[in-house]
Amino acid sequence: MISDFLAHLDTLLLWAFAGCAFVSAALMLVLRQPMRVAMALVSCMVFLGGVYGLLGVHFIAAFQVLIYVGAVMVFMVYAIMLLDPRDEAASGGKYSKFFWPGLIGFALLAEALAVGYWNDLPHAPRGAAGEPFDITRFSAAFLSEYWLHFELTSVLLLAAVVAALAVIKENRRHDRG
Amino acid sequence: MIADLVIALVFIGYAISVLMGFGTILTWVERKQAAVMSDRIGANRAYIRIPGTKVKLVWWGLFHGMADGLKMLLKEDFKPRTYDWYAYAVAPWVVFTPVLLVFAVIPFGGALTPAKLWAPLAGFFGEKSWPMQIATLDAGILIVFAFSGLTIIGAMLAGWSSSNKFSLLGALRAGSQMISYELVLALTVLGLILIFGTVNLDTIVRMQSGTVLGFLPAWGIVYQPFAAILFLAAAIAENKRIPFDLPEAESELIAGYFTEYSAMKMGLFMFAEFIEIAIVGALFTTLFLGGYNLPFMTDAGFAFPGGGTVAMPHGAVVVTQLAVFLLKVFIVCSFQILIRWTLPRFRYDQVLTFAWKFMFPLALANLCVTAVAVWALRA
Repeated sequence: MISDFLAHLDTLLLWAFAGCAFVSAALMLVLRQPMRVAMALVSCMVFLGGVYGLLGVHFIAAFQVLIYVGAVMVFMVYAIMLLDPRDEAASGGKYSKFFWPGLIGFALLAEALAVGYWNDLPHAPRGAAGEPFDITRFSAAFLSEYWLHFELTSVLLLAAVVAALAVIKENRRHDRG
Repeated sequence: MIADLVIALVFIGYAISVLMGFGTILTWVERKQAAVMSDRIGANRAYIRIPGTKVKLVWWGLFHGMADGLKMLLKEDFKPRTYDWYAYAVAPWVVFTPVLLVFAVIPFGGALTPAKLWAPLAGFFGEKSWPMQIATLDAGILIVFAFSGLTIIGAMLAGWSSSNKFSLLGALRAGSQMISYELVLALTVLGLILIFGTVNLDTIVRMQSGTVLGFLPAWGIVYQPFAAILFLAAAIAENKRIPFDLPEAESELIAGYFTEYSAMKMGLFMFAEFIEIAIVGALFTTLFLGGYNLPFMTDAGFAFPGGGTVAMPHGAVVVTQLAVFLLKVFIVCSFQILIRWTLPRFRYDQVLTFAWKFMFPLALANLCVTAVAVWALRA
């Protein structure tokens, strides 16, 4: 009985984490208050980290939490902290008016998917399936195969930062004029 | 399978009791050590009187921890009217939980073979041996950094959701200070990762049981003495303790980001801080002080540089390793408290300047020198 439960514990946890990540992602979309949106995103990232961990890629799990939560979300929370929380424009109403229609549509979609694909659901890989994805393999793959993607992403991010600055400057010019 | 579960539960129980024990003991050590350092008697007010007699058990003030716990549990649980009750309620846990989780990847002993401890256990556990570590993850030190990033968010949430200007200022200070010092912390550890070639903490400890130059124990502090100093300084700053306690500077900000928290919620912040002292101690021990081993000691016994070996029975090795780990952690904790009662507080701009203009370049330089040295030695 217990060993039966333990044998399926990985799959159970995987589904629990995936479900929680899904719920937090949905909450991130429907919540209106900036800080709660940020918190939903943080929990989504952490649960996704758990999913990666259960799939056996502990490095990706650690980087998921380290980079997205420890770096990106910390800065977002820092910025949101400096917003005026009583600003009506930022929080106006608790949910968007599409909350209920969206939720119902979502539930229907999820149900359709669940019914359609229930038997094809993947299971968490058990034990040592092939070589473990350790830091040597990760570094080799990262620095030989994916370095171009990585560099391109950083250039894109820089472009996005410059664009954001340009948008702010444009608005300020309008305000003054 | 069930044996694995039993072992995991035993390890988790041990880890939680060690952390809680350290958290409680360190509140007392902090007071007692302050008293000793400033030549006072100190921490002797709390006592238990044996019922019906006039005998008071003072025990060097050890009951102060219990008195604190009772006070925090019984105090009024004050809640400010804030614009985000949810963030306010969740923040202490976001600070407290990751601190406990970090210990999961820290090895607190070598391999444990229950069958060798006591023969009848072989029936249940077989001949299998387990590393004394809750989660033997290959990502080791990365997991530690991943979790410690979460505490920053907790501190900022607490300050922001309290609707108090002092709290908000404390949260701003906590956020920028912890971000800056986490960077330095990671950079100092990178040099060590280069030398050992792994981020798995158990492997790092095992690699430290040999010798360097024939006689020095191969501890991280011997390879990277400079990084050890930087690591300890950055870790104290990351834990927001004096001389880096700007986020909760009493004379400026009342209690900083947790000003509006009372009773046990405030207790969680305090407890997290004290447990983090122990975590910093455990990390420093694991990375720089050879972990759970005495110098020249491995899972089999001692192997001295002169060539002499002393074999030890398995039980003795396990007990020695557990005790040595706790002792090393306690010494590092005590050193942190020594610093806390020795140095005055920085000014806020000095804290950030210290991080970015002093420690960050030094950590980078250390990393560069290490990289060149490792490359030269391997070539």
